[in-house]
Amino acid sequence: MLVTLASGALTALALLQQIDTTVAAQPGQRLVVDSYGGEIDVKTWGRNAVRVEADPPSRTSVEISSSGGVVSVRSEGRRGPPATVDYTITVPAWMGLDLSGVYTDVKVAGVRAPITVETVQGEVDVAGGEGTVSLRSVQGSVKLSNAKGRIDVHSVNEEVRVSNASGEITAETVNGDVVLEQVDATSLDAATVNGDMGYDGPIRNGGRYTLSTHNGDITLAATEKTSATVMVSTFSGDFESDFPVPLRETRKGRRFSFTLGGGSAQVSLESFQGTIRLVRPGHGNQERDQNDHKDHDRDDD
Amino acid sequence: MSDQWTDRLSEYLDGELPPEDRAALETHLRHCTACGAVLADLKRIVTRAHGLEDRLPERDLWPGIAARIGLDTGERPVVDLDAVRVRRQVSFSLPQLIAAGIGLVALSGGTAWLLHPSAQPAVAVHEAPAVPAVTVANRSSVAGQRYAAAVADLERVLDQGRGRLDTTTVRVIERNLATIDSAIAQAQRAVAADSANVYLNSHLAETRQRKLELLRQAAALVSSVS
Repeated sequence: MLVTLASGALTALALLQQIDTTVAAQPGQRLVVDSYGGEIDVKTWGRNAVRVEADPPSRTSVEISSSGGVVSVRSEGRRGPPATVDYTITVPAWMGLDLSGVYTDVKVAGVRAPITVETVQGEVDVAGGEGTVSLRSVQGSVKLSNAKGRIDVHSVNEEVRVSNASGEITAETVNGDVVLEQVDATSLDAATVNGDMGYDGPIRNGGRYTLSTHNGDITLAATEKTSATVMVSTFSGDFESDFPVPLRETRKGRRFSFTLGGGSAQVSLESFQGTIRLVRPGHGNQERDQNDHKDHDRDDD
Repeated sequence: MSDQWTDRLSEYLDGELPPEDRAALETHLRHCTACGAVLADLKRIVTRAHGLEDRLPERDLWPGIAARIGLDTGERPVVDLDAVRVRRQVSFSLPQLIAAGIGLVALSGGTAWLLHPSAQPAVAVHEAPAVPAVTVANRSSVAGQRYAAAVADLERVLDQGRGRLDTTTVRVIERNLATIDSAIAQAQRAVAADSANVYLNSHLAETRQRKLELLRQAAALVSSVS
């Protein structure tokens, strides 16, 4: 039995191809990677070149080409769909990325250019990105840090997390939390159906911030000096604040508004049946983590 | 909840207020959070409406409309809609806001047909004269029917293509659709109990929109593996 397993492993090793190819990159070119399954790990270096390292099985070929504005990397099955391929790709930091896959995890670090990622069953973890940054996964979580520009992060079944980022931000999921920490959003549209939501970062004068969940809590970091008109809407949830708020108006249903400071930014907080909390900056995540612990304790019970 | 300016917010948003009224309203907005909130709602709806794709009808609708309103269809020249189409202008009075929120969901649901294999672009329609305005209630009802049709279409695409998707993916999509359906049902019950509540209506519309988006995403996945 052991002999059979060992010989099988050796055969598999023998069938793997080693790919280590470097192609020149012209300024303005984008990297396009189309991978059926596996991992795409993108790093940066100081050279104007793209290095692709992979070890696909023999029944899968990897095509690398450079033409016009694109350096392209794609896996093709010789018979049927391609097998899983793990890529390590090194690019210049200025190079825009367009990465897609089905059963594909994506990791990016250090890129200072637009990034698009789409996967179905995979985790997305990106550190970097400037300009348009669009990250999507159906079944995996999406994490983005150190990015700036027009940011769109989207999952269906997992958490979406953005940290140390700035710009116009859209963050959505259906069944997961939306966490925005140390984020400087000029506008924010964050939504989930079944999950908590938190924003910890400055609220800019004239900015528009909409946080909406059906079945979850919302935590917004703010102070008395924040300049915002805040509209709170809920059906059967609650509202709590770390500091007194000057209530301006109560509407029919549980809907009310108040003004902080000069009231410059428009903030809308909507939770159908969760608690909406205003906390002082830096306390948002503690609050969330405590609630997570409570939830876990409840689960354990 | 409303004052002399509330009903003029739509004109303000469309840039149709005279300069002196505009200045007075802007002064008012600095102090009135209620109007500020309504204006924010209107802006959201207009922004979403502008993001919608104009879709030509799949067949000439005018004869049916003319028959229903008792006009002679006669021989009218056929014109290219692109030549006469103007940018959709969205202008809502406050009472229409609730219906508009739901209506937009159904309107944007029209893009569902783009994913449907039988979708055929129309080449021309008759230039129709003005028809009497539909009531808000009718508009909501029509919007609801169109929403249901869009959902049914996309569900059919997903159903027909489920064999091509990974079973785990199908399970995840179905679980999330169930989550959204549950939220929609809760929002519907809340709206039934408080039909004038702007938040509840808007929340219901947005949750329905979320369902459409997920169905579209699922249909796109089916199409990508076809």
